[in-house]
Amino acid sequence: MREECKKDFERLSEYLDGELDEAVCREIEAHFRQCPECRECVEAMKKTIRLCKAAASEQIPNDAKERLRTMLRECINCTRGQQSG
Amino acid sequence: MNKRATDAVDHRLISEFKAGSMEAMEKIVERYEDRIFSFGLKMCGHLQDAEDIAQETFLNAFKYLKDFREETQLKNWLFKLAATACIRKRRKKKSEPDYEISLDAFIPQNGGDAAYDIPDWSDDPADYMLRGELKKIIDGAIHSLSHKYRLVFNLRDMEGFSTQETADILGISTQSVKTRLHRARLFLREKIATAYKEGGIS
Repeated sequence: MREECKKDFERLSEYLDGELDEAVCREIEAHFRQCPECRECVEAMKKTIRLCKAAASEQIPNDAKERLRTMLRECINCTRGQQSG
Repeated sequence: MNKRATDAVDHRLISEFKAGSMEAMEKIVERYEDRIFSFGLKMCGHLQDAEDIAQETFLNAFKYLKDFREETQLKNWLFKLAATACIRKRRKKKSEPDYEISLDAFIPQNGGDAAYDIPDWSDDPADYMLRGELKKIIDGAIHSLSHKYRLVFNLRDMEGFSTQETADILGISTQSVKTRLHRARLFLREKIATAYKEGGIS
């Protein structure tokens, strides 16, 4: 791997997250235009992040929600009872 | 709802809870339980563990709410408690120690197979089965990440916290957040592409 590719490979995430200076971004983009391997690399990275985000949703089961509330009500009432008593 | 409006609602509910309102407690739980539970599940991989994480997080939140500072965001504070609960649970289970992910392992070699076949997520209901399989692959890949990388990846990419917020939640430097996130993403890219190619996750 060429030195330029390696340098950009190391800061790929910072580039995608918009955490690099404008001038550095332009420099990286100019490199990507000429380098199909690095272009492939950044596209695969973007797709990975997008895919993980799309598959992220989880639903808390209703019985777990109920158990959480019951436990909290009991603990808070107990603490408040001790404080007022 | 924007950040400022969210903070205003949270702070109002906290004041009401401190004044004795149980209804305010329920509203706070309702606002954040799905996200905390989901984070717990992504971190631990089991429903029961995720439920334990959610219980410990909210129990500690209401126990220490008197210490909550007005300038802090409730969401960030809850995730700090949830991350601590995840670390504690991991210690209790005497899990495998964290391993380092080396950047060198992911540097494409000249002439090597640099192509990564990463599928797209389909919102078409007809692809329901495919989506289920894909979700299994993704969840498996995330769970196979070493714990410290998984924490950062889940907070940054799944929960959308900034680099600075993630650093504050975990008590580590912003540079560590960036390094771990980059390596986690590379690991996942490799893992998902391999599993997708082979039709399953190892």
